[in-house]
Amino acid sequence: MRPRARNRSPLHTSSRRRGRVFTGIAALATAALLAGCSTSPAPSASDASTLTYAISGGTLSSGKMDIHSSAFQVTALVMRNSFDSLVYQETDGTFVPWLAKSWVLSDDGLHYTFTLRDDVTFQNGEKFNAAAVVANFEHVVAPETASADAASLIGFAETGGYYAGTEAVGEYTVRVDFTQPYAPFLQAVSTAKLGFYAPGVLKTKAAQLGAGGAGISVGSGPYTLTSYTPDQEIVFTANPDYNWAPEGSTHQGPPEIETLRFRILPESSVRAGALTSGDAQIASDITPNTVSQIGDDFTVEKIALPGLPYSLFLNQNNTQAPNGGVFADMRVRQAFALAIDIGPAVKTIYQGQVERAWSILTPTTPEAYDASLEDTCSFDRAAANALLDDAGWTERDSDGYRMKKGTRLSARWLAWTPVSDANASLGDVVQSDLKEVGFEIVRDNLEVASYYGEFEKRSYDLSDWSFPSVDADVLRAHLHSGGYKNGSSVSDPVVDALLDGAVASSDPAVRAGLYAQLQQWNAEQVAIVPISVSSAITAYSSAITGLSFDLYGQPLFYGASLTAAG
Amino acid sequence: MKSSGLRLSGLRLLGRLGGMVLVVWGAATVGFLALRLVPGDPVDVMLGVRAEVSERVRAEVRADWGLAEPPFVQYLTYLGRLLRGDLGTSYRLQSPVAEIIGSQLAPTLQLMALAMFFALVLALGSALLARGPRSKALLSLVELFAVSSPTFWTGLVLTTIFGFGLGWFPVVATGGLAALILPAVTLALPVAGIISQVFRQGLEAASALPFVETVRARGASHSRLVLRHTLRHAAASSITLTGYIIGSLLGGSVLVETVFARPGLGRVALNAIINRDIPIVLGIVVLAAVVFSLINLLVDLLYDRLDPRLATAAVYS
Amino acid sequence: MRRASALIAGAFLLLLVVCTLAPALLTSADPLQTDLPAALEAPSLAHPFGTDQAGRDVFARVLYGSRYSLAIGFGATAMALVVGLAIGAFAASMHRLGDGVLSRAIEIVMAFPEFLLALIVIAIIGPGEAGLLVAVAIAVMPAYARVARVQTLVVTRAGYVEAARTLGLPRTATLLRHVVPNTLGPLLSMATMGVGTAIAAAAGLSFLGLGPKPPTPEWGLILSDGRNFLSTAWWIAVFPGLVITATVIATSVVGRFMHAPQKRRRA
Repeated sequence: MRPRARNRSPLHTSSRRRGRVFTGIAALATAALLAGCSTSPAPSASDASTLTYAISGGTLSSGKMDIHSSAFQVTALVMRNSFDSLVYQETDGTFVPWLAKSWVLSDDGLHYTFTLRDDVTFQNGEKFNAAAVVANFEHVVAPETASADAASLIGFAETGGYYAGTEAVGEYTVRVDFTQPYAPFLQAVSTAKLGFYAPGVLKTKAAQLGAGGAGISVGSGPYTLTSYTPDQEIVFTANPDYNWAPEGSTHQGPPEIETLRFRILPESSVRAGALTSGDAQIASDITPNTVSQIGDDFTVEKIALPGLPYSLFLNQNNTQAPNGGVFADMRVRQAFALAIDIGPAVKTIYQGQVERAWSILTPTTPEAYDASLEDTCSFDRAAANALLDDAGWTERDSDGYRMKKGTRLSARWLAWTPVSDANASLGDVVQSDLKEVGFEIVRDNLEVASYYGEFEKRSYDLSDWSFPSVDADVLRAHLHSGGYKNGSSVSDPVVDALLDGAVASSDPAVRAGLYAQLQQWNAEQVAIVPISVSSAITAYSSAITGLSFDLYGQPLFYGASLTAAG
Repeated sequence: MKSSGLRLSGLRLLGRLGGMVLVVWGAATVGFLALRLVPGDPVDVMLGVRAEVSERVRAEVRADWGLAEPPFVQYLTYLGRLLRGDLGTSYRLQSPVAEIIGSQLAPTLQLMALAMFFALVLALGSALLARGPRSKALLSLVELFAVSSPTFWTGLVLTTIFGFGLGWFPVVATGGLAALILPAVTLALPVAGIISQVFRQGLEAASALPFVETVRARGASHSRLVLRHTLRHAAASSITLTGYIIGSLLGGSVLVETVFARPGLGRVALNAIINRDIPIVLGIVVLAAVVFSLINLLVDLLYDRLDPRLATAAVYS
Repeated sequence: MRRASALIAGAFLLLLVVCTLAPALLTSADPLQTDLPAALEAPSLAHPFGTDQAGRDVFARVLYGSRYSLAIGFGATAMALVVGLAIGAFAASMHRLGDGVLSRAIEIVMAFPEFLLALIVIAIIGPGEAGLLVAVAIAVMPAYARVARVQTLVVTRAGYVEAARTLGLPRTATLLRHVVPNTLGPLLSMATMGVGTAIAAAAGLSFLGLGPKPPTPEWGLILSDGRNFLSTAWWIAVFPGLVITATVIATSVVGRFMHAPQKRRRA
């Protein structure tokens, strides 16, 4: 007999030692069943005091649980429940007292003085006071924090920032100083990104904030983070002591809903399915494709976001490519924008739910949008070809791509995972459209940590994101030579001056004029190619009442309640 | 006589335990070596070459893995920590690997157990049902289909039909049994196909044996024949099949947990791999080795109890 | 019956080979060309497998995809076969201690499920097309090494090898002239079935996003692209899944057919 291998191919089974298999299977099944039975069942989702919220949140586990360092909007979406701000921004754009009872801006526009509430405690029992504000703002600007968004919001930059420091004037009085007038500050301190950690946590657990968790992500908000399982769920429990809602809030005191369960479900079809089957009462990042799947029993809230639309960032200084890469040449950037048939792509992929973007600010951005740019940059393949010829990319290789001096006209598109279906399809269209003009696009999807590694080095040609913001100052992060989100590597003194000027002025007309100039500058220079006006699409069941949404399209659970039937 | 037999089985047990330790040690070593053999800074290997991480985390990795020490000392330190049950720390999640794995073990075990149960029921059921040549041919076709369809695809098709379409089962894990059924069926199908194949091949072989005629002549029914007599013969080497089944269930759980958005080890493993969370990956390697050798040990011990005649057969052939 | 199914399976595999070498023979559509007005169209004569979200022809994508799937399936299996044979033959030709150490090492690696092993390899060497190939090859390799070792041992103990050795043929020459050809038979039938396993494993890995980059028309990737559209556009994910299944079935039917005569000879 020929010896046979112990191989694991299903179709290769030798018939020796018969009988053993049943014993094996039985042992395995018994062991597994015993192990399985010993676990306590998870709480039922239909519990009237528990609200389950399906979010995509695939990036949270990559150290993005820290409000002070993460640039992701999802961090704010989740953490808003645990973190309060100094002021609250109403949907009409005005500011009302929250943790600060009142505030004054000095005549020279350089000093904000906040008078704080004296009855606020953090979830771990620590007192909220001026020292806590100082500790938090110091944490935001500390180099170890490596803050992305929060530091920019507060007006801090390694060079050329406006933020000078924060000082406790009294037990409950705090003063924030600037080197030049900084108009967006009040809006900035109304966001969750500039929320407040309990000072003890900052002192002892600063290294763990990015990973997050119960006892680490401790704020003063209406909900306490009580359990976090990375990539699976985040559970918040009502804070029974909460009694410091924003002034004018219809609800006061502790929140109505006892438990909030955020289920992390990266697939849009699964989120929609969770909603329709009643396993979740609310789901966000609903894709246009799934809106039809949800049906009429649910309310679909679609909020076109202010700020920077979903855009492609053409890096003019790719540090890994010779001479800064293909987009160092303005003609190539212009050709790129002209070669994509953006309108039909947005219409088809978003199934008419989302508008095409014409400018680097969206129409709902307060006092900044330049509507004159609408219908200006239209798809023109011939013009794109002419520009590329003009730029010297005249030869063709065997695959039909353009060449210049033996190198192919090729750009590397860097994106972080998970990439949404819509963005993936859009990428397919961009790639296909550019191939028509002999321009190769290579897409590289990396996990968040690797993505940021490359982003920091600016070692790519192309990347994509949207950045919701209630203040047009979001452009400073994206176009200022010192901006942390300057993905196009723009370094232009004229642009810097425009951005600095807009920040310094508190006159809406002046600011709008400056931002219009910036938008027109981009239309000509094509540092950023605006694609679509991102919208936050949230669907929820009729079991939820009293749900409100903030300016970023995020649901606010504080005033909401659940009816048992749902 | 009796005492020497006891001593013998004691020795055998020791030998098997030794083999188990060997497998776990080997797996840990292979994992450790693989990390060291990859060119480049071990810190980069651990965190991803392109990853943006603070100097603090880099220093943490260097200290944890004793990277300033000579490689052999690093290896011994690593083994020493393993012995104490310390699987290291996930730098991404800032918590001990043992804790992360421990907290996710139960859902995966539940899934595997139910899948195993379904697989057995399906395989046994089809062995009992398929009697004539036509039904046998049909069965073998179904088996082939079950074994050959990619798990992730079957899972997606099943949720679409029974979850989204008919609404019989929830599409996300809710903690209840209902949410466990579709994933378990998905995971069970290929395993059921294999077990059924083994049953059938064995039955065919055994049916040719003279004793079957004798049993038939005594008036035994088909089911009785299957259950009592031929099944015993209808099997492959336990280690081969048990190994294959565990492999199939463990590997499949990565895909099934992803498709059904279930919590569990599979998803932890996948996320660790995608995010290059190497301490978690190594932890899972060691865990898989422990589980595999434990099950083998258990099977062998049980089998010795049940059929001492075969006890002398070598554990590994 | 057995012959007929083997013929059908063989024909299907042949068709896949044609798709790999000259997909343009079977479809005029470009697998990468987007066509927005035609997005999410149901299967029709113009688009036998329908179109996806960007209006690409799913049939063309699946046809062109056979290139990647087959290349990875055959490539990884061939790699595993060659390396496995080398390791197995090497182990068999060594003295007891070396052979013992190597066989134990193979056994240890075999303790891991193939899919998990492939995942671990990818974790270390990184994702991508090349990573996928190497990962699948390493994952399935130990089984080949094991069979190769046993076969080598059997063959070396056969009379003619002894004879060759007494005739004074050098060790390596004996190994190459006599041992290797005689061990190849069982390995090849194992490999035929192995191709299907490798294709399925590769599809699973790229479904998880660890394989080729989009918009590569790889089967696992196409399936993954269509997963959120199953309720509205089932064809994007269903057809590639069917093709993967059919391919795996075909390789195992052909492999079993090849294996059968050997078994008969043995008996």
